[in-house]
Amino acid sequence: MTKIQKFAGVLMTMLSAIAVYCFFAFKYPYHLHFQEQYQLFEFTWGYFLGVVSVPGGLADWAGRFLTQFFYYAPAGAAVFALLAVAAQWLTWRVCRRPTLTAYALSFLPAAALVVFFCDEHALAGGAVALLLSLAAVALSGRVCVDGRRHVLQAVLVPVLYFACGPLAVAYVLLTVWAEVLRCGRRALLAICVLLLLALLCPIVASRLVAYPLGRLCLGVHYYRYHNIVPGLLWAAALAAVCVPPLAGIRSRFLSSTPAGLGAFALVAALGVFFTFRASDASKEEWMRYDFMVRMEMWNRIMMTADVRNPDNPKTVSCLNLALAKTGRIADSQFEYFQNGPEGLLPEFVGDCTNPVSTGEIYWHLGMVNTAQRFAFEAQEAIPDFQKSARLYKRLAQTNIVNGDGAVARKYLQSLTHTLFYRRWARETLALLDAGDIFAHRPELALARDRRLKEHDFLFSASEMDSMLGLLKVENPANTMALDYLMAWCLLRKDLDRFAECIALVEAPAMPKAYQEALLLRWAQQHGSLEGMPPYLSMAHAQRLNRFILDMQAGKPEAELLRTYGNTYWFYYFYRYRSR
Amino acid sequence: MIRRNLYIALAALVLVACAPKERDAVADGRLPDIYPDYVGVTIPVGIAPLDFSLKGADAVSVQLAAPDGTVLRSAGRVATRFSRKRWAQLVSRSAGDSLTVTVSGLFDGRWRRFAPFGIFVSPDAIDYGLAYRMLEPGYEIYSFMGIYERELGSFRQRALLENTQFDGCVNCHSFKRGDPSAMSLHIRGAHGATLLTRDGDLTAYNTKTDSTLGFCVYPYWHPSGRYIAYSTNSTRQSFHVQPDKLIEVFDLASDLQVYDTQANEIITAPQLKQPDVWETFPAFSADGRTLYYTAAARVDIPDGLPQSRYNLMKVSFDPETGSIGQDVELVFDAASRGRSASFPRPSYDGRFLMFTLCDYGTFPIWHHESDLWLLDLQTGEIRPVDEVNSADTDSYHSWSSNSRWFVFSSRRGDGLFTRLYIAHIDADGVAGKPFLLPQRDPQAYYTELFRSYNVPEFITGPVPFDRIRAQKAINSPERVPFGFRWSD
Repeated sequence: MTKIQKFAGVLMTMLSAIAVYCFFAFKYPYHLHFQEQYQLFEFTWGYFLGVVSVPGGLADWAGRFLTQFFYYAPAGAAVFALLAVAAQWLTWRVCRRPTLTAYALSFLPAAALVVFFCDEHALAGGAVALLLSLAAVALSGRVCVDGRRHVLQAVLVPVLYFACGPLAVAYVLLTVWAEVLRCGRRALLAICVLLLLALLCPIVASRLVAYPLGRLCLGVHYYRYHNIVPGLLWAAALAAVCVPPLAGIRSRFLSSTPAGLGAFALVAALGVFFTFRASDASKEEWMRYDFMVRMEMWNRIMMTADVRNPDNPKTVSCLNLALAKTGRIADSQFEYFQNGPEGLLPEFVGDCTNPVSTGEIYWHLGMVNTAQRFAFEAQEAIPDFQKSARLYKRLAQTNIVNGDGAVARKYLQSLTHTLFYRRWARETLALLDAGDIFAHRPELALARDRRLKEHDFLFSASEMDSMLGLLKVENPANTMALDYLMAWCLLRKDLDRFAECIALVEAPAMPKAYQEALLLRWAQQHGSLEGMPPYLSMAHAQRLNRFILDMQAGKPEAELLRTYGNTYWFYYFYRYRSR
Repeated sequence: MIRRNLYIALAALVLVACAPKERDAVADGRLPDIYPDYVGVTIPVGIAPLDFSLKGADAVSVQLAAPDGTVLRSAGRVATRFSRKRWAQLVSRSAGDSLTVTVSGLFDGRWRRFAPFGIFVSPDAIDYGLAYRMLEPGYEIYSFMGIYERELGSFRQRALLENTQFDGCVNCHSFKRGDPSAMSLHIRGAHGATLLTRDGDLTAYNTKTDSTLGFCVYPYWHPSGRYIAYSTNSTRQSFHVQPDKLIEVFDLASDLQVYDTQANEIITAPQLKQPDVWETFPAFSADGRTLYYTAAARVDIPDGLPQSRYNLMKVSFDPETGSIGQDVELVFDAASRGRSASFPRPSYDGRFLMFTLCDYGTFPIWHHESDLWLLDLQTGEIRPVDEVNSADTDSYHSWSSNSRWFVFSSRRGDGLFTRLYIAHIDADGVAGKPFLLPQRDPQAYYTELFRSYNVPEFITGPVPFDRIRAQKAINSPERVPFGFRWSD
């Protein structure tokens, strides 16, 4: 390669790294937080041994090590950028003909990896496994003496299979190709040995570890769901295997700078196209809301909703929590899109995502046992059997509040072995030892005060109003429980129950949504608004009259939405129609 | 250079010379606060070393003395680490007598020697090991779990089956009086089945029939090995809102049935399948001619849950014909005491029956008040086994093949994570102080272990279980159906 071509190559790598960084840091940061919260990386010998004891374990451990940095999105984006650069550089190292086109093609595995990482369930261990395989190809190629090299290559097959899992096949195929080029027929025996070893490794592993042969052939920890084959990761491996032979084609045209730049432009275009195609904006939005709830960024949630009104139950439930935490839910709830009670307190779903943010709501309400259950269940549902640092933290909190100090200590002890939760865990343990944790942790004191102490019953989603009512009755200071109770009745369109519960409201002025609901109920019961209670605003009553007239006049829903979209009446007649 | 090295060596020597010596330990008349609490426990010959740590100590030094004067020492910063071989020799020399344990600990730079305590070594042999399930003490969703065997003479634990091998969960397992070659094991989930292994043969069954309530659940082998008694339960869970309790597991219906392994058919009788009675937890007597179980009158769920109380019952069984007796008999009226019985387990020598008693319901593991009780089948005397019970949950239990030991699960450690305790019981039914299942570094092991032990069963040898064959059988859709017949 000429100097200019070398410079162009370095520029391509830098541009790619910056692009990958920018994508994950600015366009897709919450996917990184999401990834981080489904693992608990411990700096302990026991944890290391537990992870590395299955084929692919070392790569998985290294992947988990990197994933812990996703706690900070810029660090996570930098990790992905480095992984992509490493994949490109190692692919390039394996190529035997140093042309600019080869350099451009060496971006293909990296591009496939970036697309792969748009999936929130893609695990970093897969990328590390591919990198280790490519590094092994480059390493073994440096041994000049044929015999020694062949021995090293053969030894590396089981070592790599154990360290990286089945992606070691990339190493085997690239080594076979390199040996064919290097030794021709003389390498036949070595090639046969390599292929035989590659075949034997998963079979032998199936006798040693408790995984089916199929999983040992496709990878145990490349993807969070074991029944899904990570096609894009394997595509990256295929690209890594195919690029060096392709780059080896002798052609004057392919060696030229324009061809190299053109190939780079093509790879970059494909990478950008498929990355944006693979990215999921709606998931990113939900993860953003979940992150903001986790960090208790209540005002930021509302600012985000002001820019774009959330519309799926999970994001709406986060918004409603923020509204309640800031005391605005009674006034402002219907200024935002509402999709029924599911958008207030989503029903329990037995997966690892939904109960996480729903559990946050119960935690803030003071339903500590329910928050604990949701946290525990979400963790148990993590498909690859990992633990979650975020959920360990919550479980420690719920156990402290419930007085189960010994159990809380177990969770805290584990967290002391992590990088980003260590400080909090150590401080909490010290406070527990000192016996004055509630004096120093107001969030725990609040949960302790809010939880039910006198009434015990079995949780029932169908009796949510009773549970919320009891929270308020047992602890009159728990205004959030009352807000949720009223909102629950409104969203279910249960105006009779709403009217029963209105007696619990002690606000100096009746909130807007409550007035609208009471006016509607009055109109439904009396046929007109005459004689309505004096605490209901005349302005609201007149607006209700106009709404009814417009509705009776057959005005289209879109027009009513523009005029009355922020009223309870519009929700009552045009939203949550499943009731 | 030489001079510098000399200075360093001298400094090191001075440091060592100035370091506190264990021989200068100050006598402390109290018993040591050790974890696990092995003070005064009764152990069998052949048990793995009872390593322990001394709470709050920077270092621990322990001397074990056998009655013949043989001494074994161990010291460590965190925990003891007795040599397995020398421990085994010492314990076998002490059979029928006590080991004397003297513990010294380093606290704030000073050694303290605590009052010696004894560990009684019973001459009664214990079985080869234990088989148990390990899983997180969760609610409805399960994560990583498996069935494991643990050799009691060492710290070796071997996975028999783990749910990384298939989609689903591994459930109740049972052996014929600890015989590892005869095992019943349930698989739940998409690949649901009941695996039966007998003398190297492994078959996956579909235990649900048109005439029975559902799949087979709680198993118990007949001493002949021909029959297995099962309950069949329609089980649900609910979750408390108050912190004192977390979970309620209850049945909406349950019946009993006996599986004839020779005829491949379920046998049941109307008296064990009453619509207004919930029958569960079957267990054959030592002679195989009586079937014990627990039963409760049906109540409305969930309101009536605190009133659901199970009594201990029995019915006769004829092993020759597989006939179930007509008359059911009340053995222990737990309900009249405001309590509920579960897990009846007759000792294999026919003398005792151990069961769990809690305030209500049929799932005592989530009841902190659960305790073990013992019924003397000769005298009819019933008493709580106070020698082993704790303030927290003491629940599932199983007898050793010679009926001189029992293992039980307990939450006494932290109130949530179930651990295994083994206790000796003599011919008169007097139990010794139980000991926690030994581990090499128990403090670290149990602190880092986030899984509970579940359904511990003694086994008389290693389980000849082919994991890969079982995996193939589970993942295959083929299931052998159970036949059905009413008892004569």
